[in-house]
Amino acid sequence: MRSCRKKLRANSSGQLLIVAALAIAVLISSTTIYVYELSKETKSENTYSSINDFIFALKQNTRNTVISSLANVSNGGERSVLANNLNELAQFFRSLTHFGIINLAFTPVNDSNYDAGIWLSWNTSSIGVSSAYANFMAKIQGMTANIALSYAVNITTTITISGYYTKLVGEEKLVNLTCNVYNEEKPALVENMTLFYERLGSWIPVDSSNNLSITDYGNGTYTISFTAAIPSNTVQVSTHVYDLRGIFVLANTTCYEA
Amino acid sequence: MNCKNRGQIRIIEAFLAVFIIFSSLAVSANLTVTQNKTKRDDLASVGLQALMRLDSDGSLGNYIDCGDWASLRNAINVILPSGVSFNLTVYNKQMQQVNNAVISNGAFNSQEITFVEYICASQGSIFHCYIIHLYLAVAT
Repeated sequence: MRSCRKKLRANSSGQLLIVAALAIAVLISSTTIYVYELSKETKSENTYSSINDFIFALKQNTRNTVISSLANVSNGGERSVLANNLNELAQFFRSLTHFGIINLAFTPVNDSNYDAGIWLSWNTSSIGVSSAYANFMAKIQGMTANIALSYAVNITTTITISGYYTKLVGEEKLVNLTCNVYNEEKPALVENMTLFYERLGSWIPVDSSNNLSITDYGNGTYTISFTAAIPSNTVQVSTHVYDLRGIFVLANTTCYEA
Repeated sequence: MNCKNRGQIRIIEAFLAVFIIFSSLAVSANLTVTQNKTKRDDLASVGLQALMRLDSDGSLGNYIDCGDWASLRNAINVILPSGVSFNLTVYNKQMQQVNNAVISNGAFNSQEITFVEYICASQGSIFHCYIIHLYLAVAT
């Protein structure tokens, strides 16, 4: 009886070893699969993050192009510059093959204010606006992603100017002005500011001989004062501003005696 | 008969043992590859974000428009984490090199070099678009 049991144990010891080895193999295989799945997940997260970065860069570049175009048009360039520049940018992106085929389409806004995506409002009393506005549709078709996104870029530099004058001796007047500068409705700084006043139908630049004083409050607000001999009862002032992006805007205002 | 069976089982056991060893080797090899790939992706992301950060206020395009390569090198050096070597080349639309000076913070010591391609549209009133190639490596 004992010898029979011993014989059975000896016979099945090999089978037990195979079962144990198989169990270890299953454990190793499942570990391998788990590690593989985990790495696949990490890889897909990285790809997604790269595409996110790429989309951000795409938007940044369209924004830069609209700024460049507005700077050009506000300095006397043709309105068609916006479309030309955006076409050039779209060609650049088409040449990239990182994520597949990149197609950037755009439509410059045309409405009561905008013509070919450009709005220059420099005649309105006390407010000057230089703006460019375009809608974009970007399509990225590739192995890792198939994305279509639409967005709009509106670049606007606005200035407001208001003021009054006080009489000095004779025709001499002291003019006090407050100018506010905005980029996309947020306070912004200027690169350069030039003032003109109207005397006998012609615009005369204000310079140091007019005791010109400009105070920059660092929050987009500037106070300006100057003196000038102006015979009329009102003082017409024209403010020409270049913002830090090189976009030009001007606004005229009429100052009355305080 | 018993002796004969025992011999076969030993052979099977030997095969299983070999299989187990190779499986564990495969697991460790897979782990190493994944870690290296992740490191390269991270470095590329760091490089791309550094360029985007410089481009956010138009500085990147301005440096290139002005040909101020020293300032561009310094700006990238400040933004990138310490211990990261870089080499940057600027190309125009015709893929001709624009920078006439080396924009780099030293030679690459690492074998693992990451490449980032970035398009930069300048904000200047005369529109220019550049293709930037940035090579990155972690200094060893």
